Amino acid sequence: MNWRACCVLACWLPLAAYGVDVDPGKDPVPSVMWDFYHKQMLGDAPFVFDQRVKLLAPPFAEDARQVPLEIDARAFKGRVVKIVAWAELNPLPKIVDFQPKARVLPWLSIRIRIEQATPLRAAVLTDDGLWHVGSTLIDAAGGGCTAPSVVRTQPGWEEHIGEVLGGRYPRGEFSRLRVQVAHPMDNGMVSGIPEFFINHAQLQDQAGQVLADLELFPAVSENPNLAFDIEGAGQTRLVLRDNSGNEFDAAIP
Amino acid sequence: MRWILLLCLSVSLPALAELDYALKPRLIAEDTWLLEGSTDNFAKANGGNIVNTGFIVTEAGVVVIDTGPSKRYGEAMRQAIAGVTAKPVVQVLLTHHHPDHALGNQAFRDVPIGALAGTTRLLHEQGDSMAENLYRMVGDWMRGTEVVLPTQVLEPGMLTVGSHDLRLLALAGHTGADLAILDQKTGVLFAGDLVFYQRALTTPNSPGLAVWLADINTLQGLPWTLIVPGHGPVANDGAPFAQMRDYLTWLDQLLRDGAANGSDMSEMIRSPIPERFAAISLSRYELIRSVSHLYPGYERGQMKRVDSAAQP
Repeated sequence: MNWRACCVLACWLPLAAYGVDVDPGKDPVPSVMWDFYHKQMLGDAPFVFDQRVKLLAPPFAEDARQVPLEIDARAFKGRVVKIVAWAELNPLPKIVDFQPKARVLPWLSIRIRIEQATPLRAAVLTDDGLWHVGSTLIDAAGGGCTAPSVVRTQPGWEEHIGEVLGGRYPRGEFSRLRVQVAHPMDNGMVSGIPEFFINHAQLQDQAGQVLADLELFPAVSENPNLAFDIEGAGQTRLVLRDNSGNEFDAAIP
Repeated sequence: MRWILLLCLSVSLPALAELDYALKPRLIAEDTWLLEGSTDNFAKANGGNIVNTGFIVTEAGVVVIDTGPSKRYGEAMRQAIAGVTAKPVVQVLLTHHHPDHALGNQAFRDVPIGALAGTTRLLHEQGDSMAENLYRMVGDWMRGTEVVLPTQVLEPGMLTVGSHDLRLLALAGHTGADLAILDQKTGVLFAGDLVFYQRALTTPNSPGLAVWLADINTLQGLPWTLIVPGHGPVANDGAPFAQMRDYLTWLDQLLRDGAANGSDMSEMIRSPIPERFAAISLSRYELIRSVSHLYPGYERGQMKRVDSAAQP
């Protein structure tokens, strides 16, 4: 066997090990769509329902346009490749694809829109090729995805697009970084207003090294709120891009 | 055939069961009657009767304070009033626009329905969606309920009906337009939802907890002898005010500290609730709601512009 074949084999071994005998366990939430999303979001890859992935949301949505979501995969610290989250019964289910690198903990808080009561999922891909799926349920009166924009009712909102409010908060061995970006995050579901949303965010350190990459989707609320936990000191730069090609830039001391 | 008959019966019986609020007016002071609701949340089991309404029987007719959560409640309230006095209803006073206080208006179309100007505006803006939400939460009790807007603008000051001088106060802490009514003849203070007692306060329209705290001071300074909270038992001492002040101060400090520490909403809703509030109904549920209503304001106060466009 040549070295190339060895490499390929080595890459596939962990997956092959799971391919046949991994038992996903029982789905902790009632879902009619798991099989569909397993295929669509995870490409039918091996997975387990895993309580170590904590997906924390209120039991009901007081404001279906701004539902706080906390994804806590710190149990897999150092082993996380990416985290993908979605709301199963949303017309636009996908929320975020989050890839924390060195120094950024596998933890994220974000606010989302939901259209009706739904199971929520956060799937964490670890470096052995297995997806760990955290789940919760949220109740809602509904309508969060199709409600008219609040941002657009504010006169002069266009002037404020891309403004970023931020703060850093020491928390022992890491610090919490929070940002709120002024952006309507139009999801294309409100009549006559096409999709216009921030679809990419990147955290960098002072030297320009990437700390985290995020792909954002239209289920994310207007004026997106994001929070990260970062180890080590130093200024953090946030680079944002929307689907119209606008770029925004912020530096959190 | 027998099976079909049984099936028909089992389907139709629940529909035949009469939904009855069984309102029992209780005399709490001279001429003054209370219809006390539960301190639970809106539910199919209570038909939304989670609210205190009242009425004052004066020589010149009956003054009604709040009309309840549904058309059915409003109608039941009129029957309950008729069971106590032959005098006609001459005036409705709405303490604020929330659905549990104002969706019984349909039963009082024949009398002036008075409210603060802000209350009418808010009911116009939010009434339909609030009613829709109540249909979702309490179901068939709501049948036929529609928003009826107030027909009369109330100004703060004295309203005299018969021998009762009613002092009207325009306050703001709960919804931005909150009417409190002090009957100077009996000393009964109808505080509306400015005062919750043994039931967690709600904040969907609150302009801020500091405003609310100031209103509590205003109310406590009045010459009252009996407090009728919007929710919870009546009291002849200052306990409801003390509890409100304690709870509002705690909530304000909790949100302030959370924002200063960079906590997120989902962490805030899991905050421990002090043991001394254990007897207060629905405190966790309302904390979840209040964090959603109020926390974004506290957060913004703790963040500053960091985008490159803001740099000099």
